[in-house]
Formats: sequence, structure tokens, C-alpha cells
Amino acid sequence: MGVVDKVNLPQPVKFVFNWGRKYSLWVMNFGLACCAIELIAASTSRHDFMRLGVIPVAHGPRQADLLVVAGTLTDKMAPALKRVWDQMPEPKYCISFGSCSNCGGPFWDSYSVTKGVDQIVPVDVYVPGCPPRPEALLEGIIRLQTQIADESLKERFERQRREAIVVGGPVGPVDLSNR
Amino acid sequence: MSAKALIDHVKEATGAVEREEVTPQGQVALHVTPANWHVVAEHLRRCPRCNFSMFNWLSAVDMEDDGFEVIAHLYSASSLQAVNLKTMVPREGGSVPTLTGLWRGASFHERECWEMFGIDFAGHPHLVKLLLAEPFVGNPLRKEFVLMTREAKEWPGAKEPE
Repeated sequence: MGVVDKVNLPQPVKFVFNWGRKYSLWVMNFGLACCAIELIAASTSRHDFMRLGVIPVAHGPRQADLLVVAGTLTDKMAPALKRVWDQMPEPKYCISFGSCSNCGGPFWDSYSVTKGVDQIVPVDVYVPGCPPRPEALLEGIIRLQTQIADESLKERFERQRREAIVVGGPVGPVDLSNR
Repeated sequence: MSAKALIDHVKEATGAVEREEVTPQGQVALHVTPANWHVVAEHLRRCPRCNFSMFNWLSAVDMEDDGFEVIAHLYSASSLQAVNLKTMVPREGGSVPTLTGLWRGASFHERECWEMFGIDFAGHPHLVKLLLAEPFVGNPLRKEFVLMTREAKEWPGAKEPE
């Protein structure tokens, strides 16, 4: 990406970069099912995630920083999700919104549903619920922004696996070793 | 046309109806052999008295040892009447003539039925997978199809609710 992911930036510079990034999350809405309606509700006037700096008008994945996968991902759709993720420029973040995208949800035994989008893309925040309320997404975004404020891009790129956040779950690093 | 009049008319005109059913709601089902599937369908489509111009849906039911029951649901916009055309095919090597020559819209339904049950639609111009991903192996709506997740973890709910 350039020099910012190669060196440890001085704290004031890092703060400014992270501050700018966390309040300007252009979101790619990968809506696949009913969860997408809750995502849209979160963007409209009552919940209004634009007040958190989340901008739901990315023209495409190439202009987006945040991918929200909302809904049931099928094995047939999975290559398209991978393609969208690969087109997004670094640094990029992913929120898995709803039970279907977290783990397959009610389609846990289906022949066609991907059991968790984390098999396809690395997920930063899991928002549980079927569907989650818009407030849950707001909480997920705030937790993601807290993480962005503290992160070092150098460390982020050096670290192979990211520590995922589960909304409503334990605060801090989550043990994913048994997954 | 009343349900009885329709049945009598189709029986007389084609001579290919094995048996028929009428539900209490007046829904007519005509059972035919796979060989007569297209003949009866063509009559229902072309005959001005029947005029079943709308192909509503086609699907199949897994009847286990008896094979698969293929059902086409046809609707007539002129008489506001619907009819189910049914046929039984064996589990392996079952084949039904395609209806795409009569209703273009039958194509997607037959492709779906073909990939989900493995029933051949003879004469279909483009019998390839419709909904399933390309590398998928098997016919998932057959009862013997194994759901891998359920092999790993039992279905948590009641199998035979009281």
C-alpha cells in the first residue's frame, strides 16, 4: 500500500490517519436477504449511521472501505463475494451481519448455503441476530471504529489473522481456535 | 367448464388419462403415463375449449419406492381454471418429454427439476444446471441425498411433532 504499512508511524500521525479512516467508512452493501432491509433501516433517518461517518453510497467495491455482508450467502454467490472483496482497496474491513452470514443460521443443514462468510473473506465484526436490529449494526460499527482508532497498519498487515469482534460477546480478543 | 366436464372432455379427446382426482376445492388432477405426457399437455394447450395458456409451475415429489411424481400446474386465463397434470417416473432413468415446445416458460422449471431430482426431460434444448453451483454433485431434493451437516450434527428439533 505504501510507506504507512511498512514503518511504525509516529503516534500523532497515526492518530490523524486512524481518526480520518474511522469516521469515513464508505460501505459496500452486500445485501443478500432480509438482513439487508435492517441494514437499509440503519442508514435511514431513525438510526442514521451516517452520523457515525458511515457513507452508504460507495459507487462500487473499488471506492469502498467497509463490506457489510447482510444475508444468506450461497455457494453459488460465494465467488461473487470473493470478487467484490478482492476489488476493495486496503485497508478494508468486513462486518458479517446476521446469523446466516455468521454461520449459516437457520440454513445450517442446507445443501446450498455457505456456513459462514468467514470461509470466504476475513471478518472483523460479527453481528448476531436473525435479523439483528439496526442498533446492533450501530454497535458493531462503533466497536469497529474503536478497533480502527487503536490499530497500526504495519501490525495489521504483518498479522495474518485478525482478532474478530462479536457484538454482544466478550470484549477483547476472541478465541477462534476451536472453530 | 366444470371439473367433471373438463375431465370427460380430456378423456374423450385424448384417451390417455389413466385416472383423475378432484379435491373438495375443485382442483382437477389428471394422471397420465410419461409416454402420454406431451399428448395430453398439447391438447390442454391447443384445444380452444381447454386453452390452458399459462404454464404456472412444474415440480416433482419423491415418493420413495414408487418413484417420482412429476406435476405440471396449468392455468387457463379464459376459463379461470387450473389443472394439475401428473405422471410417475421410476427413480433411476426416469424420463419425461419436454413441454418447452408448448410453453417456453417450462424451460426453467424443467431444468430445476432435472438438477434437483435427476429426472430427464427428453428433447429439452438446454438441459444444464440452473440454480446449483457448477461443481455441485448429486440431486439434493432426493430423499436419499445426504446432508453433510446433519451427518455431523443431529437435527435438534422434534422429527415427528405430536
